[in-house]
This record gives sequence, structure tokens and C-alpha cells, in this order.
Amino acid sequence: MKIRVAGIEKESVVDGPGLRFVIFVQGCTRHCSGCHNPDTWDFYGGQEMDTGEILAQIGEGRLNRGVTFSGGEPFEQVAACALLAEQIKPLGMDIVTYSGYTFEELQTKSLADEDVKRLLEATDILVDGPFIAEERDWDLPFRGSRNQRLILVHESLAAGMAVQAE
Amino acid sequence: MFAKIKKRDGREVHFDDSKITDAIFKAARSVGGEDRETAMELTLGVLRMLKQQSNGQVFGVEDVQDVVEKILIEKGHAKTAKAYILYRDRRSRVRDAKGELMDVVEDIVKETDRDNANVGNSPSAKMLQIASAASRRYYLTRLIDEDYSLAHSRGDIHIHDLDFYATTCNCLQIPLEKLLKEGFNTGHGYIRPPKRPASATSLAAIILQSSQNDMFGGQSFPFFDKQIAPSMDGADEDKVYQAMEALVFNLNSMHSRAGSQVPFSSINLGTDTSEEGRGVTRNFLLAYEAGLGRGENPIFPNVIFRVKKGVSFDPQDPNYDLFQLAVRVASKRLNPTFSFMDSSFNKPYDDQVAYMGCRTRTMDNRRGPAVTTGRGNLSFTTINLPRLGIKAERNMKTFYRLLDEVTELTINQLYHRFQVQCRLKVKDLPFVMGQGMYLGSEDLKPDDSIEPAIVNGTLTVGFIGLAEMLVALTGYHHGQSKDSQQLGLEIVNYLRRKTDEACERFNLNYTLLATPAEGTCGRYVRLDRKEYGIIPGITNQEYYTNSYHIPVHFPISSFDKISLEGPYHRFCNAGHISYVEFAAPPQHNPEAVEAIIRHMAESDMGYGGINYPVDFCCNCGLQGVINEPNCPRCGSADIRRIRRITGYLSTIDRFNDGKVEELKHRLPHS
Ligand code: SF4
Ligand SMILES: [Zn+2]
Repeated sequence: MKIRVAGIEKESVVDGPGLRFVIFVQGCTRHCSGCHNPDTWDFYGGQEMDTGEILAQIGEGRLNRGVTFSGGEPFEQVAACALLAEQIKPLGMDIVTYSGYTFEELQTKSLADEDVKRLLEATDILVDGPFIAEERDWDLPFRGSRNQRLILVHESLAAGMAVQAE
Repeated sequence: MFAKIKKRDGREVHFDDSKITDAIFKAARSVGGEDRETAMELTLGVLRMLKQQSNGQVFGVEDVQDVVEKILIEKGHAKTAKAYILYRDRRSRVRDAKGELMDVVEDIVKETDRDNANVGNSPSAKMLQIASAASRRYYLTRLIDEDYSLAHSRGDIHIHDLDFYATTCNCLQIPLEKLLKEGFNTGHGYIRPPKRPASATSLAAIILQSSQNDMFGGQSFPFFDKQIAPSMDGADEDKVYQAMEALVFNLNSMHSRAGSQVPFSSINLGTDTSEEGRGVTRNFLLAYEAGLGRGENPIFPNVIFRVKKGVSFDPQDPNYDLFQLAVRVASKRLNPTFSFMDSSFNKPYDDQVAYMGCRTRTMDNRRGPAVTTGRGNLSFTTINLPRLGIKAERNMKTFYRLLDEVTELTINQLYHRFQVQCRLKVKDLPFVMGQGMYLGSEDLKPDDSIEPAIVNGTLTVGFIGLAEMLVALTGYHHGQSKDSQQLGLEIVNYLRRKTDEACERFNLNYTLLATPAEGTCGRYVRLDRKEYGIIPGITNQEYYTNSYHIPVHFPISSFDKISLEGPYHRFCNAGHISYVEFAAPPQHNPEAVEAIIRHMAESDMGYGGINYPVDFCCNCGLQGVINEPNCPRCGSADIRRIRRITGYLSTIDRFNDGKVEELKHRLPHS
């Protein structure tokens, strides 16, 4: 399956716990002011890759704890992301997904869109909500503004409400 | 025949005709001649002609050389004559160094507007630079054999810390416990054993400073936890913390190295499991983590945490909590680095191996007990491997012949320096030798030679640019090709065998070092470009790669980098280190750092560390990667940028050119 990506980072220390393989998914409609990656907005930017090719690269990163979907907006190419996430899990790796949508918004979306449900269910930690420049906090782990949350997805789905990591 | 000859400086010395023979023979050999007898016959011809010209005056060196030239040409040795003339010319160029020195002094005096000088622009710093330039010139032209001086000037080898060639030795692992127990004398009076934690650590700082005054290289406490624990007996946690905090502050503010720099200090710790020892490690790490007055990253000391299974590495180990703390601090402060006591070459010594920021490791000892404390490196000289690779033109036989030649030269030069160092007396190193710190110096008198002590030290052959050398030999470096990796290991192993053989031959501790390149990386490239031009993959960067490292501009995963560099550690018994580069501080991610450290241990590494940019806003305290000139939070331009250079941390404006260039190219591994 094809996916349009803005770039790939094979070993990151700032996109979730442990060393992580990061896929920057191309395309975002939000256009937050102060967004760190405005080059990821254009849905025709970046480059097209095959999910199989990405999966092979992930397999090489022997020290990585997991894979992070960042953006852009992973839920705009949700089918490809869900497929990848489901293929990554059997490798013993965990999934962190960044989204400009909140957990609650995604829950609602998942009722109508099976792929959203799949990606959500495959995700271990969701970093949710748009970046808001006024809420900027330099000392937060793995996120840029105070409104964004680290959500433990499995616990949250079981509880039917957002459960945060700390 | 002639009793005396007049040297260029006007002194008259004993006339020795064998020197003429030597010079002729040397010239002849350089063009393929093998026959010393011919050289002797020619010498007779020279003497005869001199006699004809003589009216009882004392000949000058130049007069004699003129006659040698004439005789060589007259007797039909045109090639040898040409070599001889070239040799004379080179010599006179070495002598012109005097004029060159004056130019250097002029530059130092003139350069007042450098905004990033190495030690600053203060009057005393400039005077030191002049003294250093003059010392270097003096040693190269007067004290060191021409073969070695020329090899150094050409860039075949690099004699490190040349400006201290005859005046002292490199570095020391300090017997802190002994000094604290018995007291000591700094030369300004006797200092009693300390009673409180704070006085113990302030004495520790004074000790580092005093021994730094006697030596040019790093000063280290090999077992800081164990060594200072007795002084912490019964003290509460607060007192111990304050003592450690004071030590960190002290080591970042006192000046002593060469009179103008902060001492290059290192602290090894982590395996003392006593309550006091654990208190030392814990509080030292916490104080280091808290940083300096405004929370800035400390520059000194270099901190080395010992990793050992059964002691500090696994969850059930008594010091596992300290290892976790060390990882957390390393995720934020670049220090500690980690030394691995379970690697194949360190394991035989239990937990007794210590390192320094300069990566020096001193362990085996054929002249005394194999211990760390009270010993260090005496001096080291580094081989320019890429040049050998270029010269060999892909012929391995030629390569090994060239390698043999330069290694032999290096080994002999180190021996020369050792002999010069043996002329030093105990009173020349009043603290290090006078206070009995150096192993074997305990019973020496002030006027005794330091030889019985320094036979315990190491004489060290280093190398840089394995990667570029491999490119020259095969077209690929060891990150690019398995065959190159195989060849790299073979060559480094070969170098190690050479230094082991030298141990037997000289009965001294010769060792092999993975040189931290210092300024040498840039200097070699400049010299090789002049000679061979810009060759892709070899001389096209502004610097050669450190020791056996994978080139910093080559994209590679941490996993692969560690796996490839690991096997070199065991050959480099004088010291080694490998680093992993992160693009950003892993501040909130100690887990990532631990994964790296564990893979280093699995790859049989002896010593490793994590690098990442540390930018700190001195106004608001923001720490992270600040790519813009101003702080993105408060707008202040007062940004302190810290990076690791040759093992020690440094603020970025103090890097020399070669290093800045390297930093620009450093790729995070991915
Ligand atoms: S959601 Fe993320 S990628 Fe999209 S504009 Fe906002 S910050 Fe940028
Ligand atoms: Zn600021």
C-alpha cells in the first residue's frame, strides 16, 4: 500500500519513550500557527513510499523500542497507517501516534470509519490535540504545548474516557 | 686530523669524521646506495681536500659541507650529491625556524580581535602561547633527532604536547585515598588530613590542581567513591551533597592547566557498594545533574560510571539504582560516560580499570604491579594512517612496508622522549613525584631521577584516520564494506602486535591508543592536500576521522556503529572510546540512553558515551537544541553551547577549526 511521507527518522529520542523509528506522514489541514513542520501541510508534498519498504527499514532498527506516527496528520492517511501499525506490532514494537485531533474527536470518528478504529486500537500512546503557540511549554516531555496529552489508548478505550500517562 | 669544528651558533666542538660518513651514507641510501665503505672512502677524500685548504683555522660546518658536495660531484656520485644538497637545504630550512618563530610571535601579538581564541586573549594567555611556540621550535630544531622532527613537520606522525617534550609527563590516576589519609604538602605548606566531607572534597580539588601544575595531561581519580568514602563516615546526606556540589563548582572555576586553563579532571566511580561509597556516587551525580549556579551544564570533571554485572548493571545488583541515576544524568548533561568492566580485556582486572576524559587507560605493567592508581601515560605520538594508504596506491605489500617504517620511527621517538623524561629529577615534579603520588616514587630523594617511577608509565603509539586509510586502500571505509571492516581490524591488530613487540625490546610499557584527534585531524588533511590534492572520500573533508571511528558524516544506525566499532576496543589497550550522536538531548528519555549503553556492553566495548548538542539560555535557563542565534523562549542572545571535544566537554566557541568543521558534519546516527 502507498503512503505519502514528509520524511523518516530512524532513531529519534524525542518522539516518545525509548529509541523510536518515526514516520512523518505528509499532509495536514489544520495549519496551526507556530507549527514546527509547515512543509508537511501539502498533501502533494513529500514523497510516496510503499508500506512494505518502510516496514523493511523498521526491521533494521535493532535498538528501537517502537514506531511513531507523526505529522502532518496520520489520521488523514489512516488506512496506510493502520495497516503499518498492525504489521509492526508482531515485531514486538509499540506504537505512538501524534494527532491534531483530540482523543474524543477520534473516538467519534472511529464510529463511522473502521480504519480510524484500527489505528486507534493499534496505538499504545496517543499524543493528541493541535499545537497551540500560547500554550507552548519547553519542558514537557514529547510534546510542545500544555493542551496536548499523553493518552494511554488501551486503558482509555477500556474506560471509555481519556486516561493520561502521568 | 682536525681537533675541532665550529657549529653554526659559534660553539666549537670535537671534530668527528664519522659524522661526515653518516651524512654521505644517508644521502646515498636515500637513492638506493647500500655500501658504507664507499662512503668512508669519500670521507677520506673530503678530509684530504680540507687538509689542502687548511691553514690551521677551525673549519665551520658549512665549509665542510661545501667540500662534501664538491667531492661527491668530482667522484661521479651525481645522484648522491643531489640527495645531499637536498638534505642540506632541508636542514637549513629547519634552522630558518628561528625566523619563522618570530613570525608566529608576531601573529600571536597582533591577533587581538579573535572572538573565539582557544584560551582567550589575556596577556598571560598570549605569553603562554609564545612560550609554547618557542618551546616547540626549540625541541624540533635542537633536541629531537632530525628523523623525528622532519616526520612530525611533514605530518607522517604527530608528537603530541610537543611544547612539554622535555619538562614533564602526560597524565596521572591519583592516589587520592593516600593523600587524604596521610596529608600532603603543596609546596606552600603541609595540609592535614580532612575531618569533614566539605574539606575532603575541597582538598580533592586542590590535589587535582597541584598535580595538574606538574603535568600537561589529564588528572583523574580512579576510584573516587571508594577513595573519598572514609571522609564521609557518619555524615548526613545533606553534608555529602554540599561537599559534592562544592567539588563540581571548584573544578569548573579553578585555573591551573598551563597556568590558564581549568584542570582536565576526570572522576571514575560506581562500584563501591558500601553505604558511604554509595552516598558519594549518588550525591556527586545529583550535584552534577543540578549543574552550576544558574543550572548550566558543568564542563568539568569528566565523569566515568563503572558498569559491572553483579554490582551495578542488572536490576538485582546493589548499585543498580546508581546506574539508573547515572543514565538519567547522562541523558541531560552529556556526563557520565560509561566504562565496561565486563568487556573481555577489562574483566581479568575485576573492577580495577579506570579511564580518563582523554580516554587513557593504563593497566598492564611489566615493571611493577598491574594497577591503575599512581600511573598514567608518559607521552603519545600519532601515526597519520590516511597518508600511508594514499602512498601505498592499493598495494598491500607497500602499505605494510610503509606502516612498519613509520611505526618503528614512532616507537623509537617515544623511547627518545622517555630517555629525556628520565633526566628529570624528583624536584622537577615536586607534587607528583615529591609527594610520592607516582607509583615507585615513594622512596626517591629530591635529586634522584624519576626513572624508577616512570618505568610504570606507558609509551603510546596512536593512530587516526582508519576510515580514510581504508578508502585509499580499498575504495570503501569500514562502515561501507564488510571486507574493509575485516581489513581495518587486521591492520589495527597488526599495530597492536608492533607495540607488544616493542614492550619486549625496550622492557617498557608500550601501548596502542585510539587517538582523540585534537588539532591533528585538521593538520594532517591540510598537509596531505598540499601533497596529494583533494581526493574524494580521503582528503575532501576538513579533517580526518578519529582513530577507528566511522566517519561522522556517514549515515548509520547506532546499532551498526556500535557493532562495527566495538571490536577495535580490545586492540587499543592504551585507551578507546565510542560515541553515539543524538540530534537532540534525550532529556526525557533515559530509556533510549540505556538501550545504547547496553548494546555497547554487548559489543565488547571498554568505554562509551552519548553525544548531543546542549544549548543553554543563560537568561531563562531553557535547555535544548537552539538552532537560532537567540533563545526561542525569551529572545536572549546569551546562549552557551556545549559539545564534547576529544573527550572533554567544551563551550563551542573554543573549538579549533578542524573540530568546528567536524561538528558541522556530525550526523545523528539514523
Ligand atoms: S496539526 Fe501538527 S502538523 Fe498540522 S499544522 Fe498543527 S502542528 Fe502542524
Ligand atoms: Zn531564554
